[in-house]
Amino acid sequence: MDIFLQQLANGLTIGSMFALVALGYTMVYGVMKLINFAHGDMVAASAFVGLTIYTQVMGQATSLIAVVVIFLLTAAVMACIGIILERVAYRPLREAPRLSAVVSALGASLIIQNGIMLIWGPRMKIFPELVPQVYWDIGGVVISLIQVLILVLSLILMVSLYLFVEKTRIGAAIRASSIDQDAAKLMGVNVNRIIALIFIIGSSLGAIGGLFIGLYYRGITFNMGWQYGLYAFIAAILGGIGNIPGAMLGGMLLGLFNAFIAGYVSSTWADAFTFILLIVILIVRPTGLLGERVAEKV
Amino acid sequence: MAHNELILNNVTKRFGGLTAVDDLSFTVADGQIYGVIGPNGAGKTTVFNCITGIYKSEEGSVQWRGEEIRGMTPYQIVDRGIVRTFQTIRLFGQMSVAENIMSGRHIKSSQSWWHGIVPTLGSRRDEKENWLKVQEQLEFFDLGEFAATPTNSLPYGLQRRVEIARAMAVEPTLLILDEPAAGLNDKETLGLVETIYKIREKGVTVLLIEHDMDMVMEITDYLTVINFGKKIAEGTPVEVQANPAVIEAYLGSEDDDDE
Amino acid sequence: MKNFERYAFPIFFVVMAILPTLLDPRWQAVAITFLIFAVVALSQDIILGKAGMFNMGQALFFGMGAYITAILNSHYGWPILATIPLAVLLPALFGIVLAAPIVHLRGDYLLVVTIGFNIVFVQVLQNNLGGVTGGPNGIFGLDPLSFFGTQLTSQLAVYYFAFIVLLLTLWVMNNLEKSKAGRALHYLREDHLAAESIGINTRVYKIFAFGLGAGIAGLAGTVFATQYAAVSPEAFEFIVSVLFFSIVLVGGSSIPGVLLGVFVMFVLPEIFREFATWRYFVFGFAMILAMILRPRGIWPATFGKIPKFLIKETRHGA
Repeated sequence: MDIFLQQLANGLTIGSMFALVALGYTMVYGVMKLINFAHGDMVAASAFVGLTIYTQVMGQATSLIAVVVIFLLTAAVMACIGIILERVAYRPLREAPRLSAVVSALGASLIIQNGIMLIWGPRMKIFPELVPQVYWDIGGVVISLIQVLILVLSLILMVSLYLFVEKTRIGAAIRASSIDQDAAKLMGVNVNRIIALIFIIGSSLGAIGGLFIGLYYRGITFNMGWQYGLYAFIAAILGGIGNIPGAMLGGMLLGLFNAFIAGYVSSTWADAFTFILLIVILIVRPTGLLGERVAEKV
Repeated sequence: MAHNELILNNVTKRFGGLTAVDDLSFTVADGQIYGVIGPNGAGKTTVFNCITGIYKSEEGSVQWRGEEIRGMTPYQIVDRGIVRTFQTIRLFGQMSVAENIMSGRHIKSSQSWWHGIVPTLGSRRDEKENWLKVQEQLEFFDLGEFAATPTNSLPYGLQRRVEIARAMAVEPTLLILDEPAAGLNDKETLGLVETIYKIREKGVTVLLIEHDMDMVMEITDYLTVINFGKKIAEGTPVEVQANPAVIEAYLGSEDDDDE
Repeated sequence: MKNFERYAFPIFFVVMAILPTLLDPRWQAVAITFLIFAVVALSQDIILGKAGMFNMGQALFFGMGAYITAILNSHYGWPILATIPLAVLLPALFGIVLAAPIVHLRGDYLLVVTIGFNIVFVQVLQNNLGGVTGGPNGIFGLDPLSFFGTQLTSQLAVYYFAFIVLLLTLWVMNNLEKSKAGRALHYLREDHLAAESIGINTRVYKIFAFGLGAGIAGLAGTVFATQYAAVSPEAFEFIVSVLFFSIVLVGGSSIPGVLLGVFVMFVLPEIFREFATWRYFVFGFAMILAMILRPRGIWPATFGKIPKFLIKETRHGA
């Protein structure tokens, strides 16, 4: 039972990080029908950007205000990079064959990943201890302040995003663009702006996810983006790609699944089990848990 | 049981809450040119999709030569001699006219999958024979000069003709045409009418959906009129034109589907 | 263009046949690598380029062929060449079994599932499943090539082995283009529903493409294991699959395009070794630029391979 509760806590923490990153994938996919392969590397980059802001800009301060500033600055920097990415690598290819955009996304991924390596070096960096190491032992289950913080902040961000998309006019425009870009255009939606907005939101959420990864795991490497990106993308598919609540649900489920595999089986097989889960879900329910079935129009 | 007879019995197809085809029955006899007409959104294309295996109807039966074909896949149905064209032309756009027509020879070819790796004398001969059949179709449809032209660079009228040529390369018993005159000018439509007569002369039964009333009344032997997925009339063109239900449902609504 | 096609292959053949005698051992090794990766990229072209299926796990089949050769040679003492039938057939069979439940999936899902297969495969190798894969270190110390008892230890022998495998692959691809099966792949890629509606069992041909592509990649794996006399998991990571995926699409899924892509991706970095750390950074820009300027690839595949007797003079210049 102890293992169960411990892995439940760990799983929810990892799951909320997956969910934050998955939102970036699913929103871009929803509107552009493109797997943004560079998103995982953006997440990795944000951990490094946060590290540099901490050492160079904030003078290694760890007060609450300093931490908030680090988060906001990192999110802003990554949002800018996200806009540039969309402008340079994706916008010119919107009318091109689907696979061309996929290759362009892979190219962007290589640029960001190797850009990190060229700037910060190929070796692992240690992310600063921005949050005090406070632990609570609740009946044998150890929970850290960082875990609580990640879970609570992620939930707040996700609920806000959900409300934004469901309740506001801009949110309605995002949903309209996901369903049918051309029809949205005819209804007066500026799709270019919506896409830019999606990259801003996705990249900022990804940036916060990246900082969480840094806080939680401490060790950050230039090539970690693929790993987290792939998991987050699987989370998005599990939930039904293009579906925002689906990405949140998928992220949480995948985090729990991973934690329980690590707790009860072995972490050396975690990837294998995750992909077997994905394959089974896609065979049984190809549109994901919350996705809608779409019939091909003839 | 008559040969080459297509019988639909009480076919019903639903999409969610919408009933696109509602308890529809009709029989296409051997050698007929049979028309299915109805206003926009009446469910005509859905009927064709149910016959050709793209959709499976929830209820009813579709019998071809006495065999139940409901629930078969499209390629199994082609294998039994039923071939179709599409309302929105679906050619292999980047490929040449000849290659497009060659796709119709797929089920007639005697090659196995492994001939794609290691050819034999037999597979080479088969290849040659099928290209000669393609040549016949090119000549029949007067497309010879476009043999090597990619189909997406052809004008619309020619694309329609290539699609019919591709279907005829299968040597079908029943040819299903989904609005073959859509987008054609008067001269091209006349050519199409001639082509359809020539196809019938080859012993092929033709089932078609058409919007062009003049053309339908001229070439079909028998008609079924549907509206909201239901049959509202059937008969020869003369009978149907005189049917008040048709005049009300179909002709009465003509002014709002004149695109 | 016609003349190019007529002369390009004989020239390529002659150049590649005499090339190794002009090279020092280091460049011979680079040339062998080019040949092996060209075969893998062409095998990926069958699945991705011709049949249009988003496969991002080709390194799996490549690695499987390499490991089968390595295991049979090091654990069971089979001569390298004797392992070929199994190194081709087992990956092909595996490709068929893996593809069967997933070929109907929408493009992007197929892509992620094939990445998944690749990652599971590497994890199996690293965890030394069944105790035969040697774990993270892999298997080393394979025998050199031998032919009826004669040992062929020189690198030249490996080169010609790789060259023959490439020629065989080109021959198979040429046969495919002129067959019912090869055309079926083109048709289903262009329009899946139209292909079904003209009588093609698209599922069978999709699985066929996976089986054939996997078998050829497996054969390339045998040559790879021979060249290094060793195999290890990191050579078959899914990032390698990403490279092959990109090579086919940037090249334009034509044979010259794919060979050019392999040359740029694997040979150029050897020439500009001092910029090695910049390699993927530069490739990233090149990939984006290539796709923006030429969305169908640098050297797009051309259709219209129809018999000459069908081509007539045009009457109104259409």
